Amino acid sequence: MKHIINLYENINNTARNNSDCPHVVLPEEIFFTISIAGVLENLIVLLAVIKNKNLQAPMYFFICSLAISDMLGSLYKILENILIMLRNKGYLKPRGHFETTADDIIDSLFILSLLGSIFSLSVIAADRYITIFHALQYHSIVTVRRAVAVLAVIWTCCTCSGITMVIFSHRIPTVITFTSLFPLMLVFILCLYVHMFLLARSHARKISTLSRANMKGAITLTILLGVFIFCWAPFVLHVLLMTFCPNNPYCACYMSLFQVNGMLIMCNAVIDPFIYAFRSPELREAFKKMIFCSRY
Amino acid sequence: MSAQRSISNRTSQQSASNADYSWEYEYYEIGPVSFEGLKAHKYSIVIGFWVGLAVFVIFMFFVLTLLTKTGAPHQDNAEPSEKRFRMSSFVSDFGRPLEPDKGNEESRSLFHCYVTEAEHLEKARAGQQTTALDSDVQLQEVTRSSGRPEEELNRLMKFDIPNFVNTDQNSSFGDDDLLISEPPVVCCSGK
Repeated sequence: MKHIINLYENINNTARNNSDCPHVVLPEEIFFTISIAGVLENLIVLLAVIKNKNLQAPMYFFICSLAISDMLGSLYKILENILIMLRNKGYLKPRGHFETTADDIIDSLFILSLLGSIFSLSVIAADRYITIFHALQYHSIVTVRRAVAVLAVIWTCCTCSGITMVIFSHRIPTVITFTSLFPLMLVFILCLYVHMFLLARSHARKISTLSRANMKGAITLTILLGVFIFCWAPFVLHVLLMTFCPNNPYCACYMSLFQVNGMLIMCNAVIDPFIYAFRSPELREAFKKMIFCSRY
Repeated sequence: MSAQRSISNRTSQQSASNADYSWEYEYYEIGPVSFEGLKAHKYSIVIGFWVGLAVFVIFMFFVLTLLTKTGAPHQDNAEPSEKRFRMSSFVSDFGRPLEPDKGNEESRSLFHCYVTEAEHLEKARAGQQTTALDSDVQLQEVTRSSGRPEEELNRLMKFDIPNFVNTDQNSSFGDDDLLISEPPVVCCSGK
């Protein structure tokens, strides 16, 4: 959002009037490091899937979609930091035409990454759900063509929504639409995964497994959902507070931690490959093959 | 377009929704927030939010752990087969990685098991009876439990971790299926 860039600029330029809740400013190096790490990791995931024919299955396409949206998010942060640095050094006019256009494009990239991430996670959960509960028909329900079509529809919708949200940004319906996507998707994913987990529990109980296996399932599920919640909820709350109570001192104190919230989203882009992509043994094998083959 | 937008924004939205281009230099118009007379701590939203989030996640974890400890609605099937134990030890994990050397074999047998079980259940729905040892009990449970909310769960005796369905897509079906008494349905042939 434009105010994001403006906020950063103002911190660098002027002193705060109300220093009771000073804005927490993180050094740019941290943002750069995390963003570059995010881009590299997700690029590795993409390359591993593209280069290996045996990984070209719908499940990996959905994981690639998640990797692309995480990469876009990290790219957004890198571009934004570059723009801010250029602006602070005086190479760019504060209100020039190029400035505002670049701002718009970068904002829409950010929203595209957010929406893409949300929908990719939902689609991954739905794919796993179909795998478990409709396993016999899985290969006829989830074909490669349908997966590609679903992803194309999702990304087209995200692009259009991103552009629309940027054009109509800061209007109340836009903000409400944007922030309601997060809890809706959370509830959807929660229901799917809990249902899958219940099946795992009842299945394991039938075969009298150790409870350790069930505990691992609970831990995995908590990690999947917990990372998503911890990384996204602070930013969503920030957007809500910014729209509805910008003058409230409590809200202002929460909004002073904006950069920390933004960094959490970047961390989500870094953590996601580890909990989605690299949990798959095939992808790890492909990754190792890529690394070792590139050495020889 | 951007200039027109900024002008129209400024003229139309003079109120508290100051979040448009005027923010660039007039950020402090919404800035002077008075911190006088706060009843609670100024970071109370921050603290309350993070504590609430942590409580929610921990609560979710405990609910899941509790679910693992509560009793199942039916008896345990004591499957003496060692392969079953191996299979079940990872089957309840979501994506817990297997050792690569065991992965194909176990996932194949898992999948075959699943396929066969589901086939049995479909036959049961059509009213037939099977004589498969391992699915007999579950079959009866299914016919009895139809209509209960756990029917969905009971229908699937064996399920697969999502990763391994696709593993099977690429591996050839072997004949080391010690868990099933009937030949597996080669459902993947139609992909």
